[in-house]
Amino acid sequence: MKKVAIKITASAKVYAPVKLEDLEEKRIVPNMMVRRRLTRNAKVMLYLADKCAANNGKVVYGSCYSELEETANIANSVLMKELPSPISFQNSVYNTAPSYFSLIHKDQDEIITVSSGMKTSLDTLKTAALQALVSGEKIFCVAIECINIKNIDEINRCTEYLEAGAAIVLEIAQNTEDAKELEDIGIPGVIDSLQDLMCVVMMHEQGTEKILVEL
Amino acid sequence: MNAYINTYELLCDAGDTKSLMEAIYSKESALVIDNSYIEDASAGLGKMEYENIFTAMDEVTAKVLKNSNLENFHNTLLILGSSVGGMQECEQIFYSEKSFKNIDSNRYSMNALTDHLMKKFHFYDTRALSTACTSSANALLLAKRLIEVEAYDNILVMGVDGLCYSTVLGFYALGVLSDKRCTPFDTHRNGMNVAEAVSALLIQNVKQDSSIELKGAGASSDAYHMTNPDPEAGGAIASMKNAMADAGLETDEIDYINAHGTATLANDRVESLAIEKLFGKSVYVSSTKAITGHTLGAAGAVEAIVSCEVLKRSMIPPQTGLKELENQNINVPLQSIETDIQNVMSNSFAFGGNNTSIVLGV
Repeated sequence: MKKVAIKITASAKVYAPVKLEDLEEKRIVPNMMVRRRLTRNAKVMLYLADKCAANNGKVVYGSCYSELEETANIANSVLMKELPSPISFQNSVYNTAPSYFSLIHKDQDEIITVSSGMKTSLDTLKTAALQALVSGEKIFCVAIECINIKNIDEINRCTEYLEAGAAIVLEIAQNTEDAKELEDIGIPGVIDSLQDLMCVVMMHEQGTEKILVEL
Repeated sequence: MNAYINTYELLCDAGDTKSLMEAIYSKESALVIDNSYIEDASAGLGKMEYENIFTAMDEVTAKVLKNSNLENFHNTLLILGSSVGGMQECEQIFYSEKSFKNIDSNRYSMNALTDHLMKKFHFYDTRALSTACTSSANALLLAKRLIEVEAYDNILVMGVDGLCYSTVLGFYALGVLSDKRCTPFDTHRNGMNVAEAVSALLIQNVKQDSSIELKGAGASSDAYHMTNPDPEAGGAIASMKNAMADAGLETDEIDYINAHGTATLANDRVESLAIEKLFGKSVYVSSTKAITGHTLGAAGAVEAIVSCEVLKRSMIPPQTGLKELENQNINVPLQSIETDIQNVMSNSFAFGGNNTSIVLGV
């Protein structure tokens, strides 16, 4: 199967045991009406995009569980024989976060949302590499999990950090010189669905610019 | 390297591919009026006959393998698009036990479906996408690109969504669910019908006698509103233009558009406008959701299969349920039309302003 070398031009990561604080929503999203509707994943995505100076172009977003809070709200409404909130429903789809990104930055380019279980961020990276190869453009690649919902302890057996995300901006490298294979240097305790992209961010922070990715 | 659709199969409210096409051409909707999901209200739904979503996937996948030139899927990438993944099963547990405790987190998300198929069919690798109602259309878009860059020889694209309380009640809460069988493009349409389906298309880099070429794929974002489409139709126009550019085709070379055509007021008005602006009356348009309902994340793959059949049968599908066409500047046939068909476009639009169009041809 085919491998390509990607060049990373920006990266960022965040993680918190319970809730990420100071995501700079007011600065990043001055419009209060829009800001009030943002989901946690959307706030984290906008923060990571800001750190990577990404505000347009093709986006590949990954999340295994995506908008868990909104989905739980809907499930609880159904259980209580109440009608779900229309806002919760529209915010429950997996592409909610990148859609808010698109809306806020007026980005009319392609958005792909990957949700491949515990290999979500690896598949997000592969998809972003493909998009970069096909388009010749820079791609914003981001993976996020926000699972800080009521009663999450009943089912959480996979992470010490209930909110976390990793992001890079990548393009296809001109050559494979000095390109490295993905190293297993993730952050212990972070959910596995984010680990591969966390590794890429860590490698970038340690000076690696080019990484080999199998499409 | 070109991408060819070499075999496919589906299961939806109308049955398998053969039964669905018979229903489409005879204008016999398979939608039912259901009272079990919404208290004190009815809804038009598209319901499959099946044990559960996993057995339905097994059945469809096995049929595709049997009809293919492959002995197994060991050298095949699976790309699956879904909007609810394993939600159906998890909902049943949550509503009966009123607790998350016995929900297996590995059976909740999109990977519940791909993991099941991986265990059963041993694919080379799997990938799951979830962009709401464009999920499996985007799976087709990525499959085409992966074949073109020679990353894979065989890719099985699947679109899978089962009916869930969350989606039925969610669309009801949004006020877009019809209590009747939906009537796309009709002046008096009153909304969509949520439905379920399992669909699978084997995309390969080798042309066979019966191949349909996946000639083009294009996507765009409205950047307008989370649920309402851009009223100027900019996003829909962009995805259709991008797909045609990718296929190297002009508007007068598209013979038929299998529209997204959900029968919501907003979608059909905007999609009609987009088609009017780009094509005028030069192309036949219809929505087969009047037969299948809106199969959400599966819709792109379901309608890609319908489009393949339209090309093979050289027969434009009529618009079921249409009495009074709202936009008189597009060409929506009331009866089947036998004609030479070279290229078909299929549109899929989703929440968040996510738009994807594909072009199929012979």
